[in-house]
Amino acid sequence: MNPIITAFVNGIKKSGLELSNIVVVSDIPFEPEVIKEAGVDFFHVTRGRAIAFGTGLKLGNPDLKVVAFIGDLMTLGGNHLVHSGRRNMEMLVICVNNFIYKEIAGTPAPSVSPGFSAFSTFERPFNAPHLANSCGAVYTARWTALHTNELENSIANALDKRGFSVIEVLSPGPNFYKEINQVDSELLDFYYKNSVTKNNEDTRNVEITPEEKIVTGEFTDKEKSPFIDTYNAQLGKILGDKFIPLGGQSGRD
Amino acid sequence: MKTNLKAVLTGTHTLSGNEACIEGAFAAGCLFLAAYPIMPAIETIERYLKRSAEVGATFIQMEDEISALAAVIGASWTGKKSMTATSGPGFSNMMEHLGLGVMLETPCVIIDVQRTGPSLGIPNRAGQADMMQARWGSHGDYEVITLAPGSPQEMFDFTIKAFNFSEKYRTPVIVISDEYIAHKKEKVVIPPADGIKITPRRYFKGQKDKYLPFKRDKDFVPRMVDIGDGFKFHVTGLTHDDKGYPIMLEECQEYNVHPILWKIRNHVDEIVEFQETGTVDAEIVIVYYGATSEAAIKAMKQAKDMGIKVGGLKLDVVWPFPDKKIAELAEKVKAFVVPEINYGQIVSEVERCSYGNANVIFVSHGEKGINNTDDIVSAIKLALKEKERKKGIIEYRSQAGSS
Repeated sequence: MNPIITAFVNGIKKSGLELSNIVVVSDIPFEPEVIKEAGVDFFHVTRGRAIAFGTGLKLGNPDLKVVAFIGDLMTLGGNHLVHSGRRNMEMLVICVNNFIYKEIAGTPAPSVSPGFSAFSTFERPFNAPHLANSCGAVYTARWTALHTNELENSIANALDKRGFSVIEVLSPGPNFYKEINQVDSELLDFYYKNSVTKNNEDTRNVEITPEEKIVTGEFTDKEKSPFIDTYNAQLGKILGDKFIPLGGQSGRD
Repeated sequence: MKTNLKAVLTGTHTLSGNEACIEGAFAAGCLFLAAYPIMPAIETIERYLKRSAEVGATFIQMEDEISALAAVIGASWTGKKSMTATSGPGFSNMMEHLGLGVMLETPCVIIDVQRTGPSLGIPNRAGQADMMQARWGSHGDYEVITLAPGSPQEMFDFTIKAFNFSEKYRTPVIVISDEYIAHKKEKVVIPPADGIKITPRRYFKGQKDKYLPFKRDKDFVPRMVDIGDGFKFHVTGLTHDDKGYPIMLEECQEYNVHPILWKIRNHVDEIVEFQETGTVDAEIVIVYYGATSEAAIKAMKQAKDMGIKVGGLKLDVVWPFPDKKIAELAEKVKAFVVPEINYGQIVSEVERCSYGNANVIFVSHGEKGINNTDDIVSAIKLALKEKERKKGIIEYRSQAGSS
């Protein structure tokens, strides 16, 4: 069982939310066993577009809690991340960061620091929590996949937030990554041991570099009116009594 | 589907094609629009925003057309009829999720108000050059239903039809209009709500743990449920089985994708719609659609006045193509004249379906004005003069044009 999914399932339990109210949208194909285990409605969509798809789910049925598991968050999904942060679209984004396009060619992702992988890159990486925070996310955190308890609590906390939340999870790809990095199966351990938890740390200071320990923790936690509230308030003001606020109504009888 | 009385503006109104389109959408029960502003589709978005308040519909301006169609597909799975509207450059962006909509078998409607192209073209000038993109734009095998309205009234009627087709066949449906119809203001008659035929979503009615999102009925159309209703289902854009789980085998590709085409191909006769005028004894038949309709009808009248036996075939549904009808006419007539505001798209379909039985003359229309009939009438005369059966498409060139 994927440790991130285990943490997700336990995080939902801790949050006290009903499974039927949670929908997962992802650009990563999950194994059927994993899907069954999670026990939620599950959409596997195009690369990097989970946030955009999730926006439709949330606005279509505002009672849903939308969780987006994303691999291509800062590349194909970059613009969706930026704008959903700006809108404060109510959604939890779990960015599974393995620094690499593991199934494809082992080329580096835009989150990898120079010198961090064998296929080293010369480009500057994104600092995911800082990017999300700058775009307006109300909650950001970073954990490694071995921070089981912390990740569970973090997911529960984020599910409790009304707004755009981003959790970055560092997790090595189980297959291809090993070979090309010549790092053994203890890579997961390596991340864990090389990390230091600093809750409430300014996201400007959490960039991942080979020289320093990886900073984990819950970084951003603030309150801001979520998109649907702003939408209802604004249109209600303009249109008055005529306006039917966006609620959980379905098109069905 | 409960009829929302405020959604149907029963009566006679003066509306542009774009406005009529949105009224058609509301009359069909549309409750969600995600879009990105673009000329010349912008008035659809404006109209939707203005009217959404009293209809109870939701609107969001997304960051691009890629996300707009993604959001539309997502919203459709919550049980809301959903749509987007765009023009060529945005339509190109949407190709990614047209494919996803086909693969997830999700009802939704895409309005493409054609301008000229390629690339940015002329934003405020009508074109008809997205016809093949509508058919083949996304990668992989699929069939698509595309309707081509030729007036604001048809914008209203066909948008309703598009929603009905999308629910009936669980597939994205395209309404392909153009700048001319989009901005043309005309009388549009909106019937009473109970006079509008609405196809409801085909819901799964069985036990919750028995639901399979891609289990097909005899029509090859799988049933839907709304997310959040506790069915705990899975869907994927990867090749999948009935459960919606990815299976990476060629057998599954056949099992999964071929029926997506069959569900349209097996119902072509129910989907294809056209309007025939005076084809019974016609020597020449003008095949037309969308913005060329007006000029084609006028040219038909002018040619008739000259004593030429000319008829017309207006394509209401362009995809799937009316293969049988064209083939049947090709055996009776001397030639087809096909005016299009492009450099030859639907004409190649007419030629394909003629099987060499009739000459096919292409008229690149619009240079002299959308309503100008000179080239169409001259092409009809050319068709009459031609004694031999010519292979391929004969391109009519006006004297003004290069040759």
